[in-house]
Amino acid sequence: MHIPDSFIPIPQAAVYWLIALVFIALALRWVRREMSEEKVPLVAVLAAGVFALQAFNIPVMMGTSGHLLGAALVAIVLGSPFAAVFVLSLVLIVQGVLFGDGGLTTMGANIINMGVIGGFVGYYGYHGLLSLTKSRFASAAGAAWLACIIPALAAALELTAAGTFPLVPGLVGMGVYHALIGVVEAAITAVVLGLIVSARPDILERAEGAPI
Amino acid sequence: MIPTRVLIAAGIVLALVIGIGAVFFASSDPDGLDSTALVTQGQKELTQPANPGAAVDGAALPGTFEYSAPFAEYTLGGSKLADAGLMVAGTLLALVAVLGIGRGLKALNRSRSS
Repeated sequence: MHIPDSFIPIPQAAVYWLIALVFIALALRWVRREMSEEKVPLVAVLAAGVFALQAFNIPVMMGTSGHLLGAALVAIVLGSPFAAVFVLSLVLIVQGVLFGDGGLTTMGANIINMGVIGGFVGYYGYHGLLSLTKSRFASAAGAAWLACIIPALAAALELTAAGTFPLVPGLVGMGVYHALIGVVEAAITAVVLGLIVSARPDILERAEGAPI
Repeated sequence: MIPTRVLIAAGIVLALVIGIGAVFFASSDPDGLDSTALVTQGQKELTQPANPGAAVDGAALPGTFEYSAPFAEYTLGGSKLADAGLMVAGTLLALVAVLGIGRGLKALNRSRSS
């Protein structure tokens, strides 16, 4: 879902960057003020995991592949959507600058889609579903699916505004492909959450009880 | 309960395994965004594989920016083994960047509050 430079004209890309910078600033403030110091290595490992997972494209039928975003996982495990903004922003900077995965001018849009929308949908989706289902794994899976498809639809709208995608085919294409990619995202998010809970139940208990 | 140190080490190993695995096993099919672009450009049917040799035409839009990343497509252009090394470097860079900035921000917070 990494939008390349050539897909969005510079003036529009600049607007997305401005919005992204506001959220990056809020995320940095969250790290500085709210996140506990002993969480720093855990955040770093999650960033390494997100980088690796995003490089691993998995075939999802219909001649298409997809990779995980990881935003829901990070937001759930660390107990804040801003954790996802922080991690995804840094991962997207490394990907864009060194590996050409996502553009530089469009990095703002990519940070908004995958970091901000992915993180907020993942976090609030998880807590909303958790209060309904009482199941951590079902909630994590559902939130991860939503945190994959909603950023994809947002990207489709941005690319329609840019003149790159026609509205309906763009929404249909992004929606259909990411509904499938989201199934993989949901499964792996639930499995990784299960591994973390079995290894260290305290991490998630603290994250679930933490104020945003 | 597994100590934090072990959890962190296991996480790093898992990330590196996934990253190296990506070099050898990741699908080369276009991703969701590129697939949608190919569909809208008439090079792919929604539910079918893309036409042979199909490539996303990104130059269609005027007023956009061009940038050539040093390691585009996560490859050095040589052996897979070298690309695996590149992926390890990228994964560790993501780790170190977050670790460094995270530590720096916490130190800043301590110095401000003291």
